[in-house]
Amino acid sequence: MTAVQAIQKNITDSEPDHGGAFHFPQGMAGFSDAREYGFIYQGHGDIACIQSTDHPEAAFLLTPWDEQRLGPPPTLPAEQLQCIRASSQEQLMWMLVLNPFADPKWVTANLRAPVAINLEMRMGLQYIRQEQDLEIRYHWQPQPG
Amino acid sequence: MLVLRRKIGQVIRINDDIRIIIQDVQNEHIVRIGIEAPKDVPVHRLEIYNLIQQENRSAGGADAIEWLKGATHDSSAGDTEEHH
Repeated sequence: MTAVQAIQKNITDSEPDHGGAFHFPQGMAGFSDAREYGFIYQGHGDIACIQSTDHPEAAFLLTPWDEQRLGPPPTLPAEQLQCIRASSQEQLMWMLVLNPFADPKWVTANLRAPVAINLEMRMGLQYIRQEQDLEIRYHWQPQPG
Repeated sequence: MLVLRRKIGQVIRINDDIRIIIQDVQNEHIVRIGIEAPKDVPVHRLEIYNLIQQENRSAGGADAIEWLKGATHDSSAGDTEEHH
């Protein structure tokens, strides 16, 4: 089972009143009003889509952080951990925002601003890292076709 | 734009829950400020935030969903680059 499939299972197994929605208390950069997101999984490997339930123009492709390629994920500062009600780094699932439109040959990944998800609490945030050498358009995978 | 003069150690308050504290002025050009804000209020350097906002707008939207639907039918989309 892939990481994204694990999320899908978590949503499917969730209590009905949760509705599977994830709350992003800060929204995403540029979409601060869009704070409730649903996961859409099309059965394609480790890529899923999150889309705002009330601002449908806010939709992003996500894929899990790959430690083999990128090393360990970032450490989320304590205040931001609290923001998504996580008590430890181990609770977090890190994902990258993919951009399939920036490069005709590559799907790129934003290493500067990954997304931390607390599956248990169904909360997430986009963490903007301070390291200036991190790529915003890292070549992640070739374009399909 | 509201412009205020403040000395080191003085505070600007925004609403009931945001405090901006002037901490230091270095070399007459760099100002160190402390910001206290609720956890759900994101605070970033403008130039970095603008960069991420621009990238999010480029990457996101209904087109992303359509792209994913298309990629689902293409097995080559699962290939990955093995070097950093």
